[in-house]
Amino acid sequence: MAQETVVSKIKGPATAVEAAAGLRYVWWRRLLFIPTFSLLVLLAIVPLIFSLGVSLFNYSLGSKAIWVGLGNYINLFTDPQFWMATKVTVQFTVVAVSIEVILGVLLGFVMNQRFTGMGIIRLIVFLPMMLAPFVVGLFWRFMFDQTFGIIDYMLTQIGLPAVPWLIHPFWAQVAVIIVDVWQWTPFVTLLTLAGLGTVPNDLLEAATLDRASNWMKFRHIYWPYLRFPLLLALLFRSIDTLKMFDAPFILTGGGPGNFSTTLSILGYRHQIMFFNVGIAAAISWVVVIIINIVTNVLVRLITPTQVEKVHTGL
Amino acid sequence: MKVLKRVLGVALALFVAAVFLFPLLWVVLSSFKTKLELLSVPPKFIFTPTFQNYLNAFNSDFPMQVRNSLIIAVSSTVISIVLGSLTAYGFSRYQIKGSDFLQFWILSLRMLPAIAVVVPFYLVFRALGLLDRHIALILVYCLFNISFAVWVLKGFFDEIPLELEEAAMLDGYTPPQVFFKVALPLARPGLATTAVFCLIQSLNEFLLAVSLTTRVAETAPVGLSKVQTLMGVDWGLLSAASVLFMLPVVIFTILVRNELVRGMSFGRMK
Repeated sequence: MAQETVVSKIKGPATAVEAAAGLRYVWWRRLLFIPTFSLLVLLAIVPLIFSLGVSLFNYSLGSKAIWVGLGNYINLFTDPQFWMATKVTVQFTVVAVSIEVILGVLLGFVMNQRFTGMGIIRLIVFLPMMLAPFVVGLFWRFMFDQTFGIIDYMLTQIGLPAVPWLIHPFWAQVAVIIVDVWQWTPFVTLLTLAGLGTVPNDLLEAATLDRASNWMKFRHIYWPYLRFPLLLALLFRSIDTLKMFDAPFILTGGGPGNFSTTLSILGYRHQIMFFNVGIAAAISWVVVIIINIVTNVLVRLITPTQVEKVHTGL
Repeated sequence: MKVLKRVLGVALALFVAAVFLFPLLWVVLSSFKTKLELLSVPPKFIFTPTFQNYLNAFNSDFPMQVRNSLIIAVSSTVISIVLGSLTAYGFSRYQIKGSDFLQFWILSLRMLPAIAVVVPFYLVFRALGLLDRHIALILVYCLFNISFAVWVLKGFFDEIPLELEEAAMLDGYTPPQVFFKVALPLARPGLATTAVFCLIQSLNEFLLAVSLTTRVAETAPVGLSKVQTLMGVDWGLLSAASVLFMLPVVIFTILVRNELVRGMSFGRMK
């Protein structure tokens, strides 16, 4: 059963359990919430505020921090590398997520058939999304290799030219997208299947009797049940590709010539390799803000009636 | 016509499964090849399998890294399940001020990019001397695992009929007893599912691990990333290690296959 809203409904009166807890068990009520929230505040809000502070300093590890105000952000916004990384990140997100959603829905209908062995087929299809993105990137890199890779071998076998995956700017981007699509289309398929499972059978039977066209069936019967799962898939996938790190990092290391350097990779480089902590913090804040905007837009789509603001950890 | 459509449908499903399975099969196959066979052109499909790569993996730092991965993932999962079940139950049964806002805020942590916390955690752990210690990653993973656990477990607690708890109250159970002796045992499948997802997520994480560990506490993915940068690329070892690392995840996935939707949608669907 799909829950139709992300926003939980305002609950009615307190439960009997709560009524009985009364005033004598205030400590218990505190135990339920306070440890968790203390830890989450310590792990989420404090670091984010700290990082906002750091982003206002010119600070390299090992040297003194110098207050620069918005200097890091100004440097960032005039740095072609930053714009390149932003462009690459947005490109990956738009292209990969579009393919994943369209393909995922189609596969959802393919996987929705019933026959013996479907359980195993579904399990196989769902496996990729459970694997470590890093390890997935690793073995795809092996397959993409130009000399001994299986993919180029197969391409040449069917008469196509070998592709310079991972070393050509365009094809490196294609490779990253292929890996993301392979790993995450199953996620959209999974949610599509969950949505399809909620379509009442009598509706489908009625549509068959009425000889409704496929498009009519999709629009009027399936879509109302697919809308929420698909928007949820869109939300999660967009956010996860906006933070994409593992696959391009292992496939190409961000190259060639920064053509697959996402914002996360750029931030990581400034932080761990160049020790430019201030810049790294500024980059991470840009990612937080982009994700915040995207999340808010998509959540509004999910709950058009209840406009709620979602914050990214703040 | 109908039969044809049916056959085509089955064929299509099989083809899709083959496409998703092939890369996995290929890495498993590669893990049993010798160095020469791995790099041979055209790629070999039939060969005499060797276990050398697995032996090499066992004799490298890989077992230690897997141990680190497990220590970190299990600790973080235990903390997250304990705190997560308390709070999830709280949200399910008790009314607190700003309940919706707080739940939303926890949900929003799902959106928080790892890179955003890398910088501050790196600085703080460096100052505290906790870089490259297990505790650093355990704590950071709690951030993501707790928020996940609260949402998913709340769904499971919501499904437990209130009448059972009310009956227990009539029998004289105190509210904490109701939780520990009635609700928690009933939520056991939910706890197991949630724990499996927390474990998988922690094992799979890479960006934070590579930023906050260097040697002593490095996790398996971090270790594997170094194999390929420092010592040239030993694809045999990498394939064998990848297979060993994926094996438990595959088993876990089979165990929670019926709850995949719930787990992957942060408890927003089931």
